[in-house]
Amino acid sequence: MPIRENLLLKRNNCTRKTLTPQTAKGTIFDIQRFSVHDGPGIRTTIFLKGCTLRCFWCQNPEGIHLKPEVMFYPDRCIYCGNCLLACPNKAHVVKEDAHVFLREKCTACGKCAQTCYAGALVLVGREMTVDEVVDEVLRDKVFYETSGGGVTLSGGDPIVQYSFSRALLKKCKKVGLHTAIETAANCQWKILASLLPMLDLVMMDIKHVDSEKHKKATGVSNKIILNNAVRLSKTKKPLILRVPIIPGFNDTKSEVEAIAEFVKEFSNLEYLELLPFHRLGEGKYKALGLEYSASNLAVPAKEKMRELSEAVKKLGIKVRGN
Amino acid sequence: MELTYEQRLEALCKTKMQQTREKQEVLLVMDQDDHGRILPSPEFREITEYMGPSGEMVRDAKLNNFKPKSNHPSGGFFGAKACGENFNLFLKAHPVYINPMSSLAGGYMAYFMGYRNPSWPPELASNLEDEQRKYGVYPGIGATQHFCQDMTIGFKLGWGGLLRKIRRYRKLNPEKSDFYDGLEQVVLGVQDWIRRHVEVAREMAKKEKNPTLRRNLEEIAEINEWLISKPPRTFREACQWTVWYQMIARMYNGSGSMGQIDVWLKPYYERESAAGTLTDEEAIFHLACLLLNDTQYYQLGGPDGEGKDTTNKVSFLVLEAVHRLKAPANIGIRVFDGLNPELLRRGVEIMFEDKTGFPKFLGDKGLVEGFVKNGYSVQLARQRVYSGCHWFAIPGREYTLNDCVKINFTKVFEVAFWDMMNDSEIKPSVDELWSRFKKHLHRAVEVTKEGLDFHMKNMHKVFPELVLDLLCYGTIEKGLDASNGGVEYYNLCIDGSGLATVADSFAAVEQRVEKEGLLTWQQLAEHLKNDFKDAENVRLMLSSVPRYGRGGTRADQWAIRIVQAFTKFVKEKPTPAGFNVIPGLFSWASMISMGQTVGATPNGRHAHAPISHGASPDPGFLRGGSAPTAMAVAVVSVQCGYGNAAPLQLDMDLGLARGEEGLAKVEALIKGHFELGGTMINMNVIDKKQILKAHQDPSKYPNLIVRVTGFSAYFASLSKNLRQLVVDRILEEET
Repeated sequence: MPIRENLLLKRNNCTRKTLTPQTAKGTIFDIQRFSVHDGPGIRTTIFLKGCTLRCFWCQNPEGIHLKPEVMFYPDRCIYCGNCLLACPNKAHVVKEDAHVFLREKCTACGKCAQTCYAGALVLVGREMTVDEVVDEVLRDKVFYETSGGGVTLSGGDPIVQYSFSRALLKKCKKVGLHTAIETAANCQWKILASLLPMLDLVMMDIKHVDSEKHKKATGVSNKIILNNAVRLSKTKKPLILRVPIIPGFNDTKSEVEAIAEFVKEFSNLEYLELLPFHRLGEGKYKALGLEYSASNLAVPAKEKMRELSEAVKKLGIKVRGN
Repeated sequence: MELTYEQRLEALCKTKMQQTREKQEVLLVMDQDDHGRILPSPEFREITEYMGPSGEMVRDAKLNNFKPKSNHPSGGFFGAKACGENFNLFLKAHPVYINPMSSLAGGYMAYFMGYRNPSWPPELASNLEDEQRKYGVYPGIGATQHFCQDMTIGFKLGWGGLLRKIRRYRKLNPEKSDFYDGLEQVVLGVQDWIRRHVEVAREMAKKEKNPTLRRNLEEIAEINEWLISKPPRTFREACQWTVWYQMIARMYNGSGSMGQIDVWLKPYYERESAAGTLTDEEAIFHLACLLLNDTQYYQLGGPDGEGKDTTNKVSFLVLEAVHRLKAPANIGIRVFDGLNPELLRRGVEIMFEDKTGFPKFLGDKGLVEGFVKNGYSVQLARQRVYSGCHWFAIPGREYTLNDCVKINFTKVFEVAFWDMMNDSEIKPSVDELWSRFKKHLHRAVEVTKEGLDFHMKNMHKVFPELVLDLLCYGTIEKGLDASNGGVEYYNLCIDGSGLATVADSFAAVEQRVEKEGLLTWQQLAEHLKNDFKDAENVRLMLSSVPRYGRGGTRADQWAIRIVQAFTKFVKEKPTPAGFNVIPGLFSWASMISMGQTVGATPNGRHAHAPISHGASPDPGFLRGGSAPTAMAVAVVSVQCGYGNAAPLQLDMDLGLARGEEGLAKVEALIKGHFELGGTMINMNVIDKKQILKAHQDPSKYPNLIVRVTGFSAYFASLSKNLRQLVVDRILEEET
């Protein structure tokens, strides 16, 4: 899989010049209210498009690329023909009584999705200003207060649109919200460091300590990631480290123990969280016209997850696992 | 062999399940609370059918050994004396029921209301019917109960004391003899009924071999012999007295309102607990027996008049009793800043552990601040306690008609729409539609108020509140029925229904017709007339407009405007006769029957499909989820704000409350909604797989309990339509 959003993050659509809350724009693919499984309290999670990794099991494939994309759910199509008329590039055709989406012709202008009332065509990735996002986030302010929750930037990876992320976090802090980020931290340290002052919590993934294996499964080496983890551990910022448990990649006791060993001395580590692989993202691959390489993987058994959690616990690390 | 409380409770629950199964087999559909009612045995049983609240035929079982005496050419019976005398005869015909496992005697088998035929004297017909039908008004004319007595009056006087009180005031108000006759007949009837139980308990005790049960039956005989005329002395006697009262209240006219059980049982519990004569296990057992007898509405915790928390040990014991029963119960925890946090936590724990839709949560702040706006003191507002589906009343002092009076907003919208389209003088527009909607809504409110006056003028002559009147302040003293000036306060309810359907309809026409010009008014009218036949695309175009509930949408703004207009019309003046009216939003289970009278609507709803539920957004208002916080914020934004509720209905996934942290998050959701001014939360905890399987074959899941609207019910007992609605909500969450 080609990696377009590379380490240099050249495609970041947000330059310093545009950084006011009214004009700074980010590409968002979802805003999830009442997010209760990621971080403390009741949270609103902002999903930003763009990621530097290409994990083959990725559960949010619509978050991988920075640019907007059209998702197509043929089952919902009612053959009204609106998209045929709306598309300037003739990307929608009817062949043998079936609606065929010629993705290679699509420029993701979104005109088809706009007229697809049946919801068969959905544009993922809409540009929003910092103020627009914060307006939506503030709708649940009272629940952040009663629960100790706040806002979480996720994705994709929020570091891809780091300038926008910074502007957004800044505004969130200004209005008094608890802020968190979910990141793979595969970026220059200075990018991460520039976000830290506006963050109350960092949630970071560590997928493997073996660089070769990491590269094979995610498309990138883990060198920068591990370095960043160590540097993060030297800050006082509360840190939650998360390990997606992927069968055949990192689901052995020794592999999980190696990660635990690596983070053992991190004094700011709140806990290590083991997240079992699941296949809930499979339908989205199909809708994006992508192949799903994890379709043959089994969901880790509860017993397995318990065993891995126990192994981490034995090393004296606080652990959470489902 | 001696039996433990645990063994006895297990046996009682088993019997309850058999009785429920029998009801499901004989009555087929029960679109209402699963009352504790027991079917009369086949030799006493007569099956009848009538139209139920969701528009389906409902089967009921009557006692075949009671035939009412008519005092009217129509064949019906009307007025206090006739109603009292007939109820007395009804009680005489009612079989005795004693389950030797239970510490409390009694079980009720039939509804007296079913014998009222006709239920209204033809010469008293109202002339408002046509107009009320035009606006889809459920006028509440002839509606019974739906307010709350004060149980402590009964605890103080007992049946004998009540009889003496009636006779004393009869002398002072000789011209009210008809009313006193009615009341007296009720008390004499219940005394006789209790007496028969004493005799049967004695006979059963003689034959009983098990020592625990024999002792229990002897105690039942002794306790009830005392209770025939004297007030209860002990915790168990207070529970037994409550059983008699709640059974006659339920049988006479369906009343299920009880109020603050933890407050009135507290002195008995504390006295005996301190003396070492009552253990918590025993107290829980008596409470469980009481709750098995019927699914009455109770409030737990909450402030007293001065704002001090009323939570006490009994509050926890009631929760525990329901937890052990795992049967339908209607108990609400009143949440306020001063509430014992352990009570709320225990309530949330039980909600997720039992998955029976119990307890519900009540928002004190919004309720009190709202009620005060009617001109009452904060002290009084705090005493207005939870006693029915979505409603509150001041025990013994207030008459309300809560949950009986509804205006179908969607019907009003339909009238306004066609009124505009058929007017050749004007050009249709959203402004014009809104102005006509307001005009018709105003008239709908007025004609509803006129109907309330009609009810208030006549109800006492037709079917007075002879059971609730016994435990009110002023009714016996003045010789007046509660519906006729007997009590102190009159705050009559008017609820709006179908808010989301109308708000989304306004948003859809505004966006698709007026702003985008994708459809002309005439085209829209044709599609509505044809119920979107061959125009699924148009229907989807209309229904895909961002809906009420999402936050910041046109539809959200419309919802607020509609509620503001409704509230203004209700509150601008009292009824013509001067009764205060309080607006709220609630549709009970009437979404189906109300929808049946309304054609297709511009939000893409098909003709005769159900309308939206209470203050809730339509399912699917948020694509890809149903964030409880989004619903909570939306429902707060449409509170009418005068102390009557607009409940938030949440079906929560079981996975949400995992562990300590999960429970705390649910608690935070509850507190946040109430902090913003929310008034009530009905929560269902859903095990999705289970409920989908149950929908396919309900008979395999006779135990599954869901909260339908303001009440919990066995899923298998619900009509197919109502089950479908519950299932639809859950499916929407999955996509």
